[in-house]
Amino acid sequence: MLYKAGLDIGSVMAKAVIMDDRDILSYSIRPINGNFAAAAGAVLEETLAKAGLFLEKLDVIGSTGLGASFLSCPHMEITDVACQGRGINYLFPSARMVIEVGDQSSRVIKLTEKGKIADCIINDRCAAGSGRILQIIAKVLRININELGGLSLKSTNSVRFSTGCSVFAETEAISRIAEGTKMEDIIAGLHYAMAIKIYGMAQKAKLEDICAFTGGGAKNLGLVKMIGETIGKNLLVPEEPFITGAIGAALMALEKAGSPC
Amino acid sequence: MFFAGIDIGSTITKVVIKNEEGILVSTAQPTGAEHRRLAHEVIKGALKKAGLTFDQIDFIVATGYGRINVPFADAQVSEITCHMRGVSWLFPGVSTVIDIGGQDCKGIKVAGGRMRNFIMNDKCAAGTGRFLEVISDTLGLKLEDIGEISLRSDNPAGVSKTCTIFAEQEVLLRLSEGVSVEDILAGLHKALAGRIHSMVSKIKIEKDVVITGGGAKNAGLCKYLEERIGFPVLIPSEPLITGALGASILAQEMAAKTSADEQVKKERKLEAVTFFDKED
Repeated sequence: MLYKAGLDIGSVMAKAVIMDDRDILSYSIRPINGNFAAAAGAVLEETLAKAGLFLEKLDVIGSTGLGASFLSCPHMEITDVACQGRGINYLFPSARMVIEVGDQSSRVIKLTEKGKIADCIINDRCAAGSGRILQIIAKVLRININELGGLSLKSTNSVRFSTGCSVFAETEAISRIAEGTKMEDIIAGLHYAMAIKIYGMAQKAKLEDICAFTGGGAKNLGLVKMIGETIGKNLLVPEEPFITGAIGAALMALEKAGSPC
Repeated sequence: MFFAGIDIGSTITKVVIKNEEGILVSTAQPTGAEHRRLAHEVIKGALKKAGLTFDQIDFIVATGYGRINVPFADAQVSEITCHMRGVSWLFPGVSTVIDIGGQDCKGIKVAGGRMRNFIMNDKCAAGTGRFLEVISDTLGLKLEDIGEISLRSDNPAGVSKTCTIFAEQEVLLRLSEGVSVEDILAGLHKALAGRIHSMVSKIKIEKDVVITGGGAKNAGLCKYLEERIGFPVLIPSEPLITGALGASILAQEMAAKTSADEQVKKERKLEAVTFFDKED
């Protein structure tokens, strides 16, 4: 039996999974809180404890994400696009396109049958379409980010945002609040603006029939629905969208290492 | 005769009252969240400063984002025209106006006192005054101070991200790496100047260049813009009010064109507009 761990140390969240030959044994997610090294160590320990394993038991550790290099134990660093692709391929073998909405960027990844990357479009130059704006708006509305999705589904008359810029969207949202617009309509409008941006990226990469949606943005049901409607596809959403990158990291680390025994 | 120009910008509301001789008073105050309702308050303040009453004003021109919400204005004119007129009045030799506002940035080409071309960014906060506002907030500094502070740097930090939101995070990263605040600010001002310069370059930057708007009050930004442009630029002593000034000049012209019998004072009420009495 081989045990493999995957860590995805993102800009906001640290994610880890431990897998054996067949299944995911345990996973864990925790906020970075400004200290990558501490978060990476803690999230791995937590996951080990949940799986009832020790660090020495792990045959291979793969890591990915912005803070991957902060992990102190021996590990293999793998690019995050490859990990997302591989993770989604493991969960949804039929998916040929992955939409990822993370905190710092949004991405559209095209996959081959084997889960290799065929094409990738990344928007990391502008916060429009990334998850960052969801955090900003949640703060403006004084609600928890987890509530956004549910609220937006109640909207009947979503607000039109005039620009894609996240900074201006914040200002616009504040004006709308001052005018007495319902919170759910503001959130739905924001989701729509994000969906349009992502649709544009998906079109550039040529839309595929079977699409998966992952990253923190996929936890927002309102956003999932809005993107699905905008691009006209049913989206496959993992049970835990945060850990797809970590799953991919674990799988790819093992593949790259070959079978050690 | 007295003429007033009121410029309701996204961030600051400006009023200029003039007569045939020149500017009598000018005021500038934050627009605030309820900006549209406050137009009458701002003009009251300016009138008080000038020692005039509302009835004495012959013609009022409103401009800026909030111009349609000034119920007592006699005419509304776009801010691009007003800026161009205001700047041409101050600097007759002007050829290029760069107006750095709170929420947008414009380049205006002028020849012989007439507008030839213009370019504008109001889609992305990077390249507007808003960028500086966000950054000064992040650093816990006053917006008025950051330009001066940036001038103290001799080693501007590299700022790669163009998006305001990402720049904010990059600032925090640089701070955690121990880069000094003045170097970070210098890097940011340089990046902003670069963005503005490349936008305005599309309409060709020619002498004389005048920088207006809130951005012109930032010495750091002006220095880096000047470096990029390659020759000295002109800055009005009060860069905020050029739009309102242009509006008041237009008010004077419009009043002159109005025939004498029309000039029998219109019934004007100095009052607030409410948000909900108008469908937009």
